[in-house]
Amino acid sequence: MSTKEQSRAEETKTPTVSVPVNLVRLSKVGQRPDFLDYLVQLWDRRSFIFFDARARVQSEHDKTHLGTAWLVLTPLLSGLSFYLIFGLLLGTSKGIDNFVGYLIIGVFTFQMTTRSVLGGAKSLTSNTSMIRAFQFPRAALPIALNVRELISNVPVTIVMLLFIIFTAPAEEITWRWLLIVPAILLQFLFNLGIGMLLAPLILKIPDLSMLISFVVRFWMYASAVFFAETRFDQYPIMRTMMDVNPVFQVIKIIRDSLLYDTTPSWRAWAVLGLWALGSVAAGLFVFWRGEESYGRV
Amino acid sequence: MDVSDMTIGHIAEPTVVVDDISVVYRTKNQTPGRTNARTSFLKKLRTPRRGDSVVRTTALSKISFVANQSDSIGVIGRNGSGKSTLMKVLAGLIIPDSGTVYAASNPILLGVNAALISSISGAQNIRLGCLAMGMSHAEIDAKFDDIVEMSGLEHEVYHPMNSYSSGMGARLRFAIAAAVDPEILLIDEALNTGDAQFKERSKKRMEHVTSQAGTVFVVSHSLSTITSMCNRALWIDKGDFIMDGTPDEVAKEYRNFIWRINEGNADYGRKIRAELMASLPEMRTTLLPNGWKRSR
Repeated sequence: MSTKEQSRAEETKTPTVSVPVNLVRLSKVGQRPDFLDYLVQLWDRRSFIFFDARARVQSEHDKTHLGTAWLVLTPLLSGLSFYLIFGLLLGTSKGIDNFVGYLIIGVFTFQMTTRSVLGGAKSLTSNTSMIRAFQFPRAALPIALNVRELISNVPVTIVMLLFIIFTAPAEEITWRWLLIVPAILLQFLFNLGIGMLLAPLILKIPDLSMLISFVVRFWMYASAVFFAETRFDQYPIMRTMMDVNPVFQVIKIIRDSLLYDTTPSWRAWAVLGLWALGSVAAGLFVFWRGEESYGRV
Repeated sequence: MDVSDMTIGHIAEPTVVVDDISVVYRTKNQTPGRTNARTSFLKKLRTPRRGDSVVRTTALSKISFVANQSDSIGVIGRNGSGKSTLMKVLAGLIIPDSGTVYAASNPILLGVNAALISSISGAQNIRLGCLAMGMSHAEIDAKFDDIVEMSGLEHEVYHPMNSYSSGMGARLRFAIAAAVDPEILLIDEALNTGDAQFKERSKKRMEHVTSQAGTVFVVSHSLSTITSMCNRALWIDKGDFIMDGTPDEVAKEYRNFIWRINEGNADYGRKIRAELMASLPEMRTTLLPNGWKRSR
């Protein structure tokens, strides 16, 4: 480049202007900050994250007449349909104690991961107008989406608890019911991390977004959402996959605490905790590394 | 040329230094036959993507200039000449393939895409946009009425954005972005969407920025807008930097060039273009603090 440029300059004999760049006053535009500065910037935008999450939770149901009531009605209706079909009509238990409760916990908990991971993965491609309009740490987008899913998950969890209390066989409320709060928070961190790992990938290779829903389907089978967890006992590989599957561990922790009155094992907490912290750390780092490329959408 | 005078004499501090930036877009080239309605599916399978190839389009090629305090700079050029890309690069939304942009503060870009979240109200969008730019809730509360007044929206500000006209949306965006008091303001065609009242307001806003020793860039196809509002103009054409001068000089050469092209005398037009380009001074940047020199 330099030789070509110089030769052209000599040919045309144009004057050369020298421009001093004082880096005390001027800084590079669009350059990503250091990782720690990035985290600080994200923390500074926390009110943006919460406002974005809240505004979108409200606007999601704005087109319907009942509005935010659907936040409660949707889980209520889907829980009711499971109760009618499996509790009353089929009367099947598949050898599981309180199958309706088992099923509702599985479906509702897995649904939060599905929605958060898919939404987080698309958070860059679906927010192009925000990205084009303002300069802010882009990781705010997947975080806001996960916060929004966590907010909409609150009524879902309450409906889940109501079903477990009021449908037969009624379960006793113990101190263990409190354990679902840390379990859901760890699940939130895990979802966030996976979403942040996927979002830059999907921006580069949009075809992957078509594949993710299939992967999620396999993941659901490996999480024992609607069958007994002992079902795959004769396949050791499947058993190991379930053992290290953090979503299965969340579901198991919630089932143990709510239905079976057993304190969840340390192993389950360890697997879930490692996945949650590991994925959120890796997700933040990978997302930060690609920060400069997200404007080109 | 006024650029060199300014920098050598230190009359004004530079706010933006654009150092040799190039941007290349990669797009898929589709077979011409794609637009035919009836192409047999099997035939398509048999000759897979014959004409599909990745084409590199140079949007900007080795652009260098310096913008100083109190400059309001008009950017002109034909469609597809890279004006909007240049604005996005200045705003830090696109990182150039080579070269660097230095700026005294974060430049704020006002584009034509209006809605942020179209299903929520204008008032909520104001809050969201201001929060995204890093303002606090208290600062927004203090400035909220000013923003609404600047946007010219009255009770409509509590209606959802998707009920707004495009002009109303652009006005709201302008008001939100102006709320942070940017030192460097980039305006991409936004002025064309507003009515006379809005034009007057945005002109005042630009004057406010330049009077505070800031810099304004305006992209517009209207030469009269640029000659009346700017003190400097840049002309870019097909990614090349053609000319830098006072709005009247640049507008004169640009009109001359367009007239030659439309006359059918494209060769003469190209000659003008090449001569102007060749007369541009070469620019070298020197990084000051650690004595590390960079030249080309």
